[in-house]
Amino acid sequence: MSDKEDAAIVEVSKLVKVFRDFWRRPKVRAVDGLDLDIRRGEIFGLLGPNGSGKSTTIKILLGLLHATSGDVLVFGRLPRDVETKARIGYLPEESYLYNYLTPYETLDFYGRLFNLDSGVRAERIDQLLEMTGLRHAARRQVGEFSKGMARRVGLAQALINDPELVILDEPTSGLDPVGCRQVKDLMLALAKRGKTIILSSHLLADVEDVCDRVAILYNGSIRAQGSVNQLLEKRESVRLTMPSLPPDTMKRILELVREKIGKEPEIDHPSMNLEQFFLEVVEKANRTASQQSGATPTDAMAGYLTKE
Amino acid sequence: MMLRIKQFLALAGLTAVEALRQPICILLAVSGVVLIAALPLVIMHTFGEDGKQVRDGALAFHFVFGLFIAGHAAGTMLSREMKSGTASAVLSKPVSRELFFLSKFAGITAVVVLFSVCAAAATLLSERVAEKFYFTSGLTGYMTDNQTGTMLVCAPLAACFVAALVNYRFKRPFASTAFVMLMFFLVLVLLVCGLFDVTGRWMPYDIGVQWRILPVSLLITMALVVLTAIALTISTRFEMVPTMVLCGAVFLLGLMSDYVLGRYAGSSRLCGFLYAVVPNWQNFWTVDALAGGGSVPLKYILSAGYYAVIYTAGILCLGMLSFRHTEMK
Repeated sequence: MSDKEDAAIVEVSKLVKVFRDFWRRPKVRAVDGLDLDIRRGEIFGLLGPNGSGKSTTIKILLGLLHATSGDVLVFGRLPRDVETKARIGYLPEESYLYNYLTPYETLDFYGRLFNLDSGVRAERIDQLLEMTGLRHAARRQVGEFSKGMARRVGLAQALINDPELVILDEPTSGLDPVGCRQVKDLMLALAKRGKTIILSSHLLADVEDVCDRVAILYNGSIRAQGSVNQLLEKRESVRLTMPSLPPDTMKRILELVREKIGKEPEIDHPSMNLEQFFLEVVEKANRTASQQSGATPTDAMAGYLTKE
Repeated sequence: MMLRIKQFLALAGLTAVEALRQPICILLAVSGVVLIAALPLVIMHTFGEDGKQVRDGALAFHFVFGLFIAGHAAGTMLSREMKSGTASAVLSKPVSRELFFLSKFAGITAVVVLFSVCAAAATLLSERVAEKFYFTSGLTGYMTDNQTGTMLVCAPLAACFVAALVNYRFKRPFASTAFVMLMFFLVLVLLVCGLFDVTGRWMPYDIGVQWRILPVSLLITMALVVLTAIALTISTRFEMVPTMVLCGAVFLLGLMSDYVLGRYAGSSRLCGFLYAVVPNWQNFWTVDALAGGGSVPLKYILSAGYYAVIYTAGILCLGMLSFRHTEMK
């Protein structure tokens, strides 16, 4: 990852959130003394099992929930500040779309909330629909869509305002592997442009692929935090990858290693992961396919999101 | 300021479109209109009181179906949005909670007003269809206006037909198109029928159409707007079913407030307080003023309008305060 500026755009200090019942009695302590700083331009992963407080923390950052105690600043302002939200894009855990609107109408509506000019709005909608592979379904009601297609609309609405801070809660949920790869590539492209991304996900492979730093939450508090490489590196062992060698050469190498470490080393053949294999198969099929009713795989990224 | 206005219009427009596209909305509207249209068929042989009874029944249907539409729309547009998360999605944008709440009110009010136009037109037509005793140069005796009745019954059918055609050809949503077409056809039928008398002679806008019913419909519309504000405020804390139940309770209590609370308002502080706080729907129910050929004076309409505006503003302030502290789970 390239060097990032050090300015913290999200500052959380001793955050506590207690949900109460109808009678105002404490029910659940969802966040318990959370301390967090997210720097400008980094991709920050929020991990944790179900109920660990990830989505609650995100909603507090957006002013959708009130903190019970603690301090939260986003771009140096309180989360409820309306002007700050113009710089944020949010993809909720579920797509939260109006079922009776079409993708075009949905994006047009959100674009109006950001006071985008009609020309800019139309251009961005066009690019986002192309990017998410929904151009052919632009005039169908969202209520008819599959979960994955609705998710793509959700992603598009999160990016309509070209936000500085993008908060993605389970962005790849419901997406096919092609879509997952596209979302990850998009996050990397946005980060390269200096955008800050907060990614909350259960899919550890996705987080590992893209995040600079992660925090692992459990029971409302952070249990581990740091850069992905630092957290995952196993310094006590080494892996070598090399082309296949003749049996004699391999035998000599193994004997030498066995002599040095005193036990049998692990040997296997490297393999591509299932995602890479899947993408190759779909790419091949896409070249010969004539028509598709669902989302169409596309490498296109909205121009306004990736231009410097 | 311009941004806020644009956001308000966008949100209000979306609310109205979303409400109109829900099948329950067109179902309630068509049901209301059909029931109003059917009144002349079931009210007969009442010693010349058919017109009055049809009129009273139609206005009652206007009120009740308007209550259902307002209550359902408020519950769906706010409490269900909060539950489903679309409210969170919108509030994560640069939109204040107060603006969001007020735009919901504006959008639902637009739908209620549209329904009121349909109901008012249907009421005028239905009253004209009702059997009456005519004593004119060309006609003496009891007669129903069958031509108008036929056109009135055909209006919702035509609206649904056109909506189906538009849906098939242009893939536009059926429900919202049908609602707008319903209003269009009813108003068209009203304007056309007003040009002829009951025997079909050219007599533009004579007593054949009882235009004095319109102020009463306007007062009912005002009451529905107040109900919309109440329903929306309740839905900041309760889900759709409790919202509709509580709205029904407020409606019933308001209808009876003169008798249940008003009688004791002078002697009991609690009754006096409740009498002031509970909306008095009798202020908006003025059908008795039409008896004997009377009408509702303009001064009365203005004072009722003033009451509606003040009351609505107060309820909306309460609603905004409640919504400000509502958590978007």
